[in-house]
Amino acid sequence: MTQNEQDYIGSLKSALSGTIPDEELQDILSDYTEHFRAGREEGRTDEDLCRALGSPMDVAQEIRASWMVSRAEKNRSCRNIWRAVLATIGLGLLNLIVVLVPFILLTLVLLIILVVGAVCIVFGPVAFVLALLQTAGISFINFWLWPVAGVFFSIGITSLGLLLVIGDYYLARFFYHLGIRWLKWNIRMIRKAEGTA
Amino acid sequence: MNVQFKKGVLEICVLSVLARRDCYGYELVGEISKRIDISEGTIYPLLRRLRDEGLVTTYLQESEGGAPRKYYRLTGTGRDRERELRDEWMQFATSVNAILAEVTHDAE
Repeated sequence: MTQNEQDYIGSLKSALSGTIPDEELQDILSDYTEHFRAGREEGRTDEDLCRALGSPMDVAQEIRASWMVSRAEKNRSCRNIWRAVLATIGLGLLNLIVVLVPFILLTLVLLIILVVGAVCIVFGPVAFVLALLQTAGISFINFWLWPVAGVFFSIGITSLGLLLVIGDYYLARFFYHLGIRWLKWNIRMIRKAEGTA
Repeated sequence: MNVQFKKGVLEICVLSVLARRDCYGYELVGEISKRIDISEGTIYPLLRRLRDEGLVTTYLQESEGGAPRKYYRLTGTGRDRERELRDEWMQFATSVNAILAEVTHDAE
């Protein structure tokens, strides 16, 4: 438990330094310094002010989560969204279920679609060439049972692969956007269960 | 009061206080915490988010004590949001109150 201004500011600083830009950190610390100064002018003690402020760790977690989410919003990348997700988990245990699990499942589904699409794109053209060679009767392996059907089938597979990969891209974009909104809502609403209120 | 619930209404409370007048941080925290029991420290992260979303702006002003204080002021968007959230809340509260009143009436 923090007892005075130095403790409080110190805890905030050590919890946040390195995770958010220095300029931002200084601005945050100055808000709390001002809070202590204003409180003291009204005759309140540091202990009293610290107790009312609550845990600096909770404040740090919330600031970090907000920062990570807004960065993930501005610079879209797997790394940034992953960090934003991890940062919100600290806000409440419930977030393991409502944030982490859906995020992992979605990532897996998107990856699987991507892999299936990629396999189709690679395999399709190869099968197409084989089918053509077989149709022309100059193939050294008999890959297709019905070479002519194979021509059309492999064109189909290739197109499907392209569709899957393109679709996956738009799906990922859509869920990225949705995920950011969900994380923002989460930060606004989710509060550590007990004790800290 | 349920703590989950409290954090959600903090935003409308802060916007509503600022809709009446500009406040410096400590003052604003005091306005909220004299009526709602919260960790006062969490108001500042909320204020930063509101500023990042363009709902409030800040400016520095000298205090009697000498050191300048950071004041928070609602922007135009902030005023719109405040009105919107206020209406939603009032409707919600009216409905809940009506249900509670009916239940109490039935019980008599």
